[in-house]
Amino acid sequence: MMKKIILFTVHCSLFTLITLLMSCEKVSPIGVLVSNTAVEDRVKMSYMYYQDHKADTKWHNVDGKDEYTFLVGADSHLTTDGGRMREMLQNALDHDDLMITHLGDIADTKPEYYILLDDIIDEYRWKYAKKYYEEIYIGYTDDPSEKADPESYLYVDSLYGAAYTIDKVPYPFYPVVGNHDITHNGWALWSSIFHSSFYDVYVVVSNDEPITLDHFIFLDSASGTLGQKQVELIEEGVLDGHDYEKNGYLVRHTFVFGHTNIFRPSSLEFASTFPREESFFLLNQFKEWDARMVFFGHVHKWDYQQDGMTEYITLDSMCEANNPEPGDYLLRVHVKKDGTVTWEKVHMNYKKP
Amino acid sequence: MRKLLFIMALMLPMGTVLAQVGYVGQHKYDGEHKNEIAGYAMGGHNVVAGGFGGLELSYKHHFDKHWHVGGDAQAQFGKQLYSVDVQGGFAFSLGWSDFFIDGKAMYNSYSRWNAKETIGNLSVTWEMPYFWLRLGESYIHYKVGDFGYTEPLTLTFGFGANLRPRWNAWNVGLFFRNYDDFYYENWNINWGLNFYAPLVNNLKLFGEFNIRPAGSMSQLATRYETSGKLGIKYVW
Repeated sequence: MMKKIILFTVHCSLFTLITLLMSCEKVSPIGVLVSNTAVEDRVKMSYMYYQDHKADTKWHNVDGKDEYTFLVGADSHLTTDGGRMREMLQNALDHDDLMITHLGDIADTKPEYYILLDDIIDEYRWKYAKKYYEEIYIGYTDDPSEKADPESYLYVDSLYGAAYTIDKVPYPFYPVVGNHDITHNGWALWSSIFHSSFYDVYVVVSNDEPITLDHFIFLDSASGTLGQKQVELIEEGVLDGHDYEKNGYLVRHTFVFGHTNIFRPSSLEFASTFPREESFFLLNQFKEWDARMVFFGHVHKWDYQQDGMTEYITLDSMCEANNPEPGDYLLRVHVKKDGTVTWEKVHMNYKKP
Repeated sequence: MRKLLFIMALMLPMGTVLAQVGYVGQHKYDGEHKNEIAGYAMGGHNVVAGGFGGLELSYKHHFDKHWHVGGDAQAQFGKQLYSVDVQGGFAFSLGWSDFFIDGKAMYNSYSRWNAKETIGNLSVTWEMPYFWLRLGESYIHYKVGDFGYTEPLTLTFGFGANLRPRWNAWNVGLFFRNYDDFYYENWNINWGLNFYAPLVNNLKLFGEFNIRPAGSMSQLATRYETSGKLGIKYVW
């Protein structure tokens, strides 16, 4: 009798455990203990934002230029020291990079870290606006403090004939979300600054017929899986650029950015990669997109793979806590007018005092 | 028979019964039946593939109390996954412990994503009355289209605990592992429950319920796949 009672108790406990875990998307012991926003919710929110705001700022025009460049960094894990983040943004500003992309785990999940991050981005949004836009004073007085306030100016983009207040200046910083960005209330913090974790950006490289575009795709892989909604959207062709191709546009190069790495640099790297089916789904999808370059972070180690014209690059962490010594943690990609793509590693000098 | 009814009654509230050949397959040669054949039906849901299901068939031959060879095959719809493997192993006992040194060569075709995978695995399993532990390494090479990639050696890890001693006629267990019958992968620890129970002479029912997360080594930890298996094993 006692044996049956024990068996029944064990069985009920297991049944309860399974029921709890089946009703929950966090299914590992760590995942159960550490809360985060599930990928399905993030993608639904991001897609709604994407649909509403896609036309706002997601276009760049480099027609007539011999080349454009973009800077890539990963895993900054910003806490109280913004040195490396400032160095990255300053480097992009100094080199006239068209855009800055970040591969996730941008800050560790505390509100004060995100406040610092937001301040740094605002600081460089202002520097960007002052460098590339015409600054028109709209203040009412000659008070030096009012003149020093970025909110006292309108920033005019002569190319598009648009005028922005400082908070609306389309600073070309494009991040993906990483696993450290979504723990606890991370998604609330991250999305309050960056809004969407699933989106794309186009660069017009030629206005001559056919209008030629380069396509930048940003995926949400922070949960180690794209999740069902994102897979469905990808399979529906939301990010394919087919709508533009139907209208006579030519998509020349596709660049893809994500957080979780597919390739492991060594046997001793136990950071979670994608499950098998998802790796195969993604690699097959990259082929369908005819991706020119694909970027990952997450594992904090450099890795390079090549498949014909497709290059897969996994970046090391640019965080001063992970890599305290100066090193080549960033990547700059050069895209020529004739379509030639080259890249170089970019040295970071900042060292924590 | 009463035991069987009792076990089945325990399983029914779970809604589904659960299976895996490896659970019963690792048991050592019983000294009488040199041949084992097993098969199971499976079904589940995967984030990328959606619903999937399939059939599996296994055969194992014991030459003596030490050596065995075998092979497995499966076909799954949904993932459009077709797999075959051959395996062989050496077993020995030390006190209450049984040790199994197993090698496996496997081929998977994930037709849905144009992926072909070749795997070699070498593992050591230590079975104790109520616990088992498996450690090994896998060589994994895959091709997606014409792109080929060989993964760095991949650690095989498995751990399980049984409600009853492993020689009992029926059993229910809990397991954690980074592999399944037809895949080995990096540090995504899947886990679940399995059981076996006698049906009639030389015939056993077995099953498994499995939850497979994505990203289980970090905060990621999102449900990726849930599946169930139910099968029978016959020995002669």
